[in-house]
Amino acid sequence: MFGGFSHSVIGASHEATGLVCQDHSAYEVNEHYAIAVAADGHGSKKYFRSHVGSQFAVEAALETVRRFYMDPERFEQDFPANHRLVIKNIEKQIIVNWNTRVQRHLEQNPVRLEESKKFSKEEFQAIPKESYYGTTLIVAVAGKGFQFGFQIGDGSLVALFEDGTPVMPMNYDESAPANMTASMCNSNAASMFNSFYTEHEKVIAMFTSTDGLYTSFSNEDDFLEYHLILTGQLDRLEEFGKSVQKNLVKRSHFGTEDDISLSCICDRELLTEMAPVLRQKAADNKAHAAERKAKRLAALKNTD
Amino acid sequence: MSKDNKNKPTGNPADKLPEDAAKAMEATAASLQNLAAAAEGKAAPAPVEEPDDALFDFDDDDPLSATGVSKKSLVIFFLIDTSRSMVGKKIGELNTVMEELIPEIRRVGEADTDVKIAVLTFGTQVRWMYSEPILIEDFEWSRLRADGVTNMGEAFRELSSRMSRNSFLNSPSLSFAPVIFLMTDGYPSDDYKEALEELKQNSWYKFGLKAALGIGSEANDEMLEEFTGSKDTVVHAYSGGQLAAMIKIIAVTSAQIGSKSMTLSDDVNHELSEEEVRSAKQKLLGQQIQDSMTNLGDADAISLDTGW
Repeated sequence: MFGGFSHSVIGASHEATGLVCQDHSAYEVNEHYAIAVAADGHGSKKYFRSHVGSQFAVEAALETVRRFYMDPERFEQDFPANHRLVIKNIEKQIIVNWNTRVQRHLEQNPVRLEESKKFSKEEFQAIPKESYYGTTLIVAVAGKGFQFGFQIGDGSLVALFEDGTPVMPMNYDESAPANMTASMCNSNAASMFNSFYTEHEKVIAMFTSTDGLYTSFSNEDDFLEYHLILTGQLDRLEEFGKSVQKNLVKRSHFGTEDDISLSCICDRELLTEMAPVLRQKAADNKAHAAERKAKRLAALKNTD
Repeated sequence: MSKDNKNKPTGNPADKLPEDAAKAMEATAASLQNLAAAAEGKAAPAPVEEPDDALFDFDDDDPLSATGVSKKSLVIFFLIDTSRSMVGKKIGELNTVMEELIPEIRRVGEADTDVKIAVLTFGTQVRWMYSEPILIEDFEWSRLRADGVTNMGEAFRELSSRMSRNSFLNSPSLSFAPVIFLMTDGYPSDDYKEALEELKQNSWYKFGLKAALGIGSEANDEMLEEFTGSKDTVVHAYSGGQLAAMIKIIAVTSAQIGSKSMTLSDDVNHELSEEEVRSAKQKLLGQQIQDSMTNLGDADAISLDTGW
């Protein structure tokens, strides 16, 4: 049985400038699959409706995957052999779905004077309409016997498979050029996704997060350790949920002051078995942290 | 240990500097705030009221508090000439002052910034003291020895290859533009010009805070100016005492300026461009260095090169 949670917290910098939270996140579980989604609206001047854009991205992802799963048995049978093609198709459908929502929203809510007056006439005309809603998107899906994920723009996906080691399985070789920010609002957005697919029998948990979480860490090891600790507590999900939200608020406050979203899906039966193991692993890591750090520093030092 | 539980400041980073220079450095933080405000056409902002800290206390019972929080990181690159001409007093003094300097820089970042150090030495061989930037809390100086020729061009190429998101500047937390501090007592043995042109194409270099210190009378000011892009950020030390004072002034001042935010990232009405921030910071560094040098005056005029 799958479980999950999602939280989006507003960053201190957005609160200070009167901006609403630009992030959006959600999760959905049923007997066939679980999906965790997070999106980060760009938030700066020309993306003045990106808080709506991130909500649309999350909704578009949930709806599209739901549609692909309309006949779950058939999907589970056909998908593994054609995963590359199907994932590409899902990505394209999400872009179409998002653009449809954006068009509808614009028709129903034309640009107001207070939104356009920050630009000169020429500047405003040069902005493509979709850009008002610019956002990233990151999605993780756990099915029966397979897992996959995809993303456009910044954000992180962490998975813990049966061995209990947190990993970032996304393949970044398909992405946009390094100097270009990938966004749902790009005209070639469908070609800017990164993705991964695995056929692990079981996954303990998968997490998607916006970059406000990643950038609150000084190194990647700490970021992964955070997910290990988190997963070790998921067997008491109901009580732990509030602690997670509180922790995200603190990470935003003391970190980069950006919005943070974290969405999680987990296998609750596997967690019953694995959570004590993961807690012990986290405790061991903590106990040996100083020793490991000293070894690492010694290895890094170049001596004559 | 969570970031907010780190040691509280134990003193002023400028403690060991000449009095006037220390005052100039203390004024840096206020100058930065005013400069940022001026660039936006606003009056200096009123102090921001701190939120109730209790709301954000890290609960010892919260297992998620085990991993620290990082706000921003700043890498300070030291490029140090270790050629044969540095043998003796020069390298000895430099080793001593760098050992003393580390605790002083440590106090600059405190809770707001993860300050990291990367030291690249160049003689006949170009080598990093550590094979990646090291958090100032963990950094231990290895005493340098001098020998060989001055392969500065090769050092510029090595620096350029490492100043990248895929290499030395790969911290997840947002990075301030780095501080790059060159120290040399002579003229490069290799063809540095082409390498410097390549380095100038590196975005981190372009936006970094650059300063240079010529040690002794043989150091070439024109070449150092080519490196920093400004006369104000090039200084000369002619004695051991000056060398110690100048290294501290430049390193601590540039770390202070480098680790200050000058952007209002979400100010939708006016966002400071990266170029505006870079230019304002570099200008301020030049002013602060020149003020400090004036204040240093003849504090230690005993020896020039013969004094080494």
